[in-house]
Amino acid sequence: MSFLQPIRRITLGAPLLLVMLLLLTMQVNAASNASIQASIYSNHAVNHVPYNAKVHYVRQMVHDGHLAPTVHVLDSLPPTLILQFPLVPSGIKASFPNAKALVTIVVGSHNDSPSHTVTVDVQNMPPNITFTIFFIELANKPFGNVEYVADLTTRGDGSGESIFQLITTLAFAMDARNPGTSQDNAEGLTSGINLEHMGMWFSSLQDAQKVLNNDSLTGTIFDGGNPPLHAGPQAMTDGQTAPVF
Amino acid sequence: MLRYISHSTRTYSRSRPVIALVVIVLLGLLLAACDSSSSQNTQTKQTTSGGNSFPTKAPPLRTPAFGTPGQVAPTVKVLASVDPTLIVQFPLSPASIKSLFPKASALVTVFQNPVANDFDTVTVDVQDMPPNVKFTVFFTELSAKPFGHAEYVGDVITRGDGSGESVFHLITFVAFAADNRNPGTSADQSGNASGIQLEHVGMWFDGLINARQVLHDPTQKGTPFDGGGGLLHAGPQAMTDGQTLPVI
Repeated sequence: MSFLQPIRRITLGAPLLLVMLLLLTMQVNAASNASIQASIYSNHAVNHVPYNAKVHYVRQMVHDGHLAPTVHVLDSLPPTLILQFPLVPSGIKASFPNAKALVTIVVGSHNDSPSHTVTVDVQNMPPNITFTIFFIELANKPFGNVEYVADLTTRGDGSGESIFQLITTLAFAMDARNPGTSQDNAEGLTSGINLEHMGMWFSSLQDAQKVLNNDSLTGTIFDGGNPPLHAGPQAMTDGQTAPVF
Repeated sequence: MLRYISHSTRTYSRSRPVIALVVIVLLGLLLAACDSSSSQNTQTKQTTSGGNSFPTKAPPLRTPAFGTPGQVAPTVKVLASVDPTLIVQFPLSPASIKSLFPKASALVTVFQNPVANDFDTVTVDVQDMPPNVKFTVFFTELSAKPFGHAEYVGDVITRGDGSGESVFHLITFVAFAADNRNPGTSADQSGNASGIQLEHVGMWFDGLINARQVLHDPTQKGTPFDGGGGLLHAGPQAMTDGQTLPVI
């Protein structure tokens, strides 16, 4: 009897041991497969980021000085092109030296996109003021031909944003009676006068006089509607000689 | 066996008060839970039914003023809308595509909230247009040739059935063109204003080649009504508001 006892224990214990070994093997195998799969997926993701020719081309333009050095060309996926550049204080520099604006332009597919999306984010600006946003021929005075695109009204803390959708990177001004031509660094010779800069203006001269404590400021054309010259001075500029878009 | 039964009976009879106590506590908790959920329901009902803050009928409509009477195109419909919105609609009619696409139609809707407004919203819906063609949309000084000053707003790309739509967000009702070196003034809906007012809307073939193909006319000449490389690479005007008086 005492001789058979250990044998019975072994007989009962062996299948249990086998099952445990089997489970352990399966677990190790599954873990190893998962690790291989993760490694394959990771390699796939790294090796198959689609090449974006647009990004490469526009970066080369920045490198060659055909676009302003302040322009970032983001590493976006095709067919998108995403540009970012800052606006810096001009008319408000003395009173609001920390004012800043970031412009982001998203351009979709050349063939299928009906417009571009422009986001303007501002901080540390004069609070509770409406500014107009213009596409302009020249970043600085006399600004040349202009296109009124949108407004941006700041909050009480001087922050604000405006998002609008319209033709941006191909914006131009013309009188169809005599459209003229201009040289676009990306597109070559084009009809009309290209508008490749951006600025922000006080929409109201009175606001500008109050904010800047300067009653001698004179009106500008940089707002639509009645009366003429009711807008204030330029508040923010891209400040560049080369185009920003 | 008997001894075991008698032992368990004794044990049971000893623990009976404890079990009864547990049952009572559990029942108490259950009742309390029911009561609290019922009182919560009552509170919710009070919040929803006692507030009286939700409207029970639609807000009133009014037709806002738009421009000076007699100084807006008769095709412009100002919709009765809820204060403070301004919504105007007007059609575009076929221009160069009239003979081949006489049923082509476009409806332009411009939305503005004059109180809190960073830009206006423009929707262009087209039907029965040449299929699978890209058209450019411009704000212009004049609706017919020579069109005058123009602003490139966006594109509309038609589907295979000739329908399509685009939405743009930009300054519309006070759009103007100006060269700041010599801006001049002109009459706007709101009175005299800086620059040259752009108060008409038109659509152009974005490619001359497309236009020649669609219109079966290889003699068509290029126009400046598209941005980008290649001088005069756009085609003729496809749709026009056709009005002398402003539409926007």
